[in-house]
Amino acid sequence: MKTEEPQSEIGIQHPPPFRRAFRIAVQGIRIRLGRSLVTLSGVVLGTAFLMSTVTTQFVDRAVARERDARQQLRIMESVLKSRIGSIEGKTLSVAVCGTLTPMDAALLDLLRDAKPAALRLYGAAACPGFEPANLTALGPGAVAVLILGDAPVCPVPLAALTGGMNVPLVIDSRSDRQCQPAPGVRREIFFGRQLADQRDRVAKQARQDRFRTIWIVVVSLAVTIIGVANALLMSVTERFREIGTMKCLGALSVFIRRLFLIESSLIGLAGSVIGVISGILLTLVVYGFIYGFGLVFGSLAYGPLMLAALAAVITGTILAVVAALYPARFASRMVPASALRSTV
Amino acid sequence: MEERASDEALERLLTSSGDNAARSGYVIRAVDVRKVYRMGDSETHALRGVTLDVHRGEYLSIMGPSGSGKSTFFNMIGGLDKPTAGKVYIDQVDIAQLDPYELAWLRCRKVGYVFQTFNLIQVMSCIENVMLPMAFAGRDSEEAREKAMEILDLVGLGDRALHKPAEMSGGQQQRVAIARALANSPDILLADEPTANLDLKTGKEIIDLFRRLRDKLGVTVISATHDLKMLKASDRIAWIDDGRLARLSTPAEVNIDVEEVH
Ligand SMILES: Nc1ncnc2c1ncn2[C@@H]1O[C@H](COP(=O)(O)OP(=O)(O)O)[C@@H](O)[C@H]1O
Ligand SMILES: [Mg+2]
Repeated sequence: MKTEEPQSEIGIQHPPPFRRAFRIAVQGIRIRLGRSLVTLSGVVLGTAFLMSTVTTQFVDRAVARERDARQQLRIMESVLKSRIGSIEGKTLSVAVCGTLTPMDAALLDLLRDAKPAALRLYGAAACPGFEPANLTALGPGAVAVLILGDAPVCPVPLAALTGGMNVPLVIDSRSDRQCQPAPGVRREIFFGRQLADQRDRVAKQARQDRFRTIWIVVVSLAVTIIGVANALLMSVTERFREIGTMKCLGALSVFIRRLFLIESSLIGLAGSVIGVISGILLTLVVYGFIYGFGLVFGSLAYGPLMLAALAAVITGTILAVVAALYPARFASRMVPASALRSTV
Repeated sequence: MEERASDEALERLLTSSGDNAARSGYVIRAVDVRKVYRMGDSETHALRGVTLDVHRGEYLSIMGPSGSGKSTFFNMIGGLDKPTAGKVYIDQVDIAQLDPYELAWLRCRKVGYVFQTFNLIQVMSCIENVMLPMAFAGRDSEEAREKAMEILDLVGLGDRALHKPAEMSGGQQQRVAIARALANSPDILLADEPTANLDLKTGKEIIDLFRRLRDKLGVTVISATHDLKMLKASDRIAWIDDGRLARLSTPAEVNIDVEEVH
């Protein structure tokens, strides 16, 4: 008879598959839209604030860099003109060592606009089949040889570069580039000499900025966490009875916990995406009015900004889940009887 | 018309709900169950030692005034809370010995719960409510949907399957709750004042439905109430007063009392 081994009649409950919990969580979010929107706006505000802080940093840095660059370009142009007079109708040779920096590229544009007779480009970025030996053909007919690019070493001795020139003139974009010198060849340096103390100032400013930024970021993250935890706690409190009912129907604690974690991660993800996008756009528009849209949008480092945005979305989502841990645990541990008694 | 459809559904369900009739003996035994609620310094003795055996397949009403401990007893024998002292056996199993996974299994398959406030999941349609316990039991969705439809037919709500609870009357909601309680063909249907939020006529319909379920499915019905008018359908009545089992009686004896009161 059954009485002999009573325990064997009771089985072990397994939680339903994840997608089931997912469906129920989504359904809950959709129907309780009002409550979900409160939680969502907590995440949106937090991440928007975070992202606007970060974007401000990006814009400030980019605008400063851009202004720096423009100033340097003006200096370069005047250096060049003081050496060779007007560029129009003359032939210039350019040796590209490594990859062109944005500043180099800007300089090339500037040179092209000045209508030289020819602008001869040699080097890695300019012609893929580049051999250092090609660089030796730079000299004849040119009034100056420019060394551009980010490589720290010029692969060809200056004498070889300038062979066949009347008045050998080498202009380098890097002050610290290693070149094999040659007697009678002057190497002018464009960038990076007159701006040393300005750099120091910028670096010091950046250190101060960083401290302030970290502080603001921490505060905005804390605001997000507390806001989301509070909204989810309310959402749990509201649903005591529902939680109790589900437990009566056979829900395991793990299922209840999963329900709330799915809900919070979905809201966290949506809220972070909205917050990050609106934070970036808002900041860019505001700075666009301050600095001018051309300057802001033209100078922005879009790649790193996108990376920062991605990081903010991930952070926002994780924070929402972290904020939900306590409410979810609380909900899942409720004794069904007391969950059902609640009259909220 | 509706009755007939329901009876057909019942016949079909009989095959699936299985072995209730084959078994016998006590389905629930409560032995000297006590419950003390402590809130700060104050103590409430909600149950002061209740011993009660419930026969398999009977319709037992638990009768008592408000605050007498009916809900507390309901929670104890339903495995929804732990007694301070005493034992509860469901199908000979001491439920205090069960781990959370076994308890969930038991709540899912052995017992169906019906509440005074219906407690439907508001965000789900009727049929989703009925399918929820099936999902917890790990049952395949298509098969579950068919079974849920059958049960909804059985309680006379086949045409409301896709409605949300908020769109239905109290009586209809309670019938959905009963359908949900039946989802996994439980041995026991536990109801805590199922008619207290309903008008007299609707309440009686619910009681009749319980009676029909007991007769046709062989499910044990335990229903708490404080309303004498809801006792007629029951086989036995357990009177609870101030946390104690005052007496056991049959509806025949009670009817005399009701007459006297009137
Ligand atoms: N969770 C609880 N905490 C404290 N006291 C409770 C709790 N549940 C019930 N009680 C008390 O226990 C007594 C019995 O309550 P209950 O079982 O709900 O009675 P009934 O269902 O018969 O109206 C009441 O005095 C009630 O206030
Ligand atoms: Mg009660």
